[in-house]
Amino acid sequence: MNKAIEIKNLTKSYDEQFSLGEINLDIPSGQIIGLIGENGAGKTTLIKCLLNIIKKDTGSIKIFDKDTDKFETLIKENIGVVLDDMFLPEVLTVRDIDTIMKDSYKAWDSNLFYKYMKDFGIDKNKKINKLSKGMRKKLEIATSLAHHPKLLILDEPTSGLDPVVRNEVLDIFLKFLEDEEHTILLSTHITSDLEHIADKIVFIDKGKIILDETRDNLMDNYAILKCELEYFKKIDEKDIISYKKNKYDCEVLVNDAKKAKKKYKECIIDKITIEDLMVLMIKGEK
Amino acid sequence: MLGLIKKDLLMIKGTIKFIGIFAIVYSMVAVMEGDLNGVAFIPALVCIMMMTTFSYDEFNKTDAYVTTFPCGKKNVVKAKYIATIILFIASTLLSIILSSAIGIINGDFDFQYALEIALGTAIGVSIFQCLFYPAIYKFGIEKSRIGIFVIVFAIVGVGALIAKSGININFLKNIEIFLDNYGIIIIPIITIILWSISYWISARIYMKKEF
Repeated sequence: MNKAIEIKNLTKSYDEQFSLGEINLDIPSGQIIGLIGENGAGKTTLIKCLLNIIKKDTGSIKIFDKDTDKFETLIKENIGVVLDDMFLPEVLTVRDIDTIMKDSYKAWDSNLFYKYMKDFGIDKNKKINKLSKGMRKKLEIATSLAHHPKLLILDEPTSGLDPVVRNEVLDIFLKFLEDEEHTILLSTHITSDLEHIADKIVFIDKGKIILDETRDNLMDNYAILKCELEYFKKIDEKDIISYKKNKYDCEVLVNDAKKAKKKYKECIIDKITIEDLMVLMIKGEK
Repeated sequence: MLGLIKKDLLMIKGTIKFIGIFAIVYSMVAVMEGDLNGVAFIPALVCIMMMTTFSYDEFNKTDAYVTTFPCGKKNVVKAKYIATIILFIASTLLSIILSSAIGIINGDFDFQYALEIALGTAIGVSIFQCLFYPAIYKFGIEKSRIGIFVIVFAIVGVGALIAKSGININFLKNIEIFLDNYGIIIIPIITIILWSISYWISARIYMKKEF
């Protein structure tokens, strides 16, 4: 399988407070990769490094098998971007965006852009600052798609959207992915979205990747083992990824649900959600 | 890059209408009063309009967004300078045409005088923009705005002090005579040099900048 993104030994530090690294990550073509982590974990920094918005300290990034430092312009022709709270000035109209973009991307497709506007019910003469938050987000997504990119890099594209609009947006992403050359890197806090559409989950915490698993493996094999505090001592340390002790019971994150079911028959083994996983991995102990 | 030039021009299209209204109203007043000096305000107003594009960009974090375009960071700066120069030339031409037209209507057409007003303003506006664009790229529009006020007041203050102190400023007369003779050649050359240096500094600052 071709790699859409290949990151090797990437590091980036802002100050003594935060550093990213060393990140090694392969993102295959034709998949949706969910990037999760709490605020300030390094998701946006990683995305900014990918897009050369900030300069990496060390390491290499290849997109479509090409080095991002050497082939920046060529690569960016094929990337669509939605960044959290960053867009064209809001005094511009929807029509202005088309005017600007058709002279910015070789493959900009005005017809496709206006088709999205029609589908979304966005008036092309409206200024961006007159659009609702949901409409604005849809405009940003349409702008990222209208030059037929192969890779979408999306930072919180569904934040602040109501469930109906969110589902519409997720459907657009799934449609985009019908072409097997297309890839999406999606950073989000709304982990339930990823349970529906992501092929792979990458969990980043304090600037480091602490989990890189396929969604199927995660949902099938990871589980929460619930037991009484007394029983916790009987659990083999090798089976514990992390745990959280409550007042009367204990929640243990395990990565082999079937094995845990056989081994610890007295315990309850619950299916896991990505949100549970995040909370246990960040707040839990090891 | 053409897209980014259009972005800046589209951002100020609303205020361009305002300049048009100003030009029409001023022309009517100037025809009645016979005073041409007011046309100098046109390039100055256009200069202020261009500064507002930095504010819009900063407010919407547009610099980070346009860095993802396939044009390279240097071209983001180049686009801003080209948009400024387009407006600068257009507004200078407009002020020459207006002052000529007013002169013809009033029956005291003096092309040399119209040219002097336009070029004088042009060099003033150029110095201002060439100085502050690198500052805006380095410190952002808000901090630079404070700097602009401080420097403008300092220049006015120094000028007032010199005028009051009775220092001999006859050398200014010589400069004026020199510019009367060679200004038409010298001023465009100085302007081009200033813009080139300013762009070079701004591009270096922007290339190192992270958003």
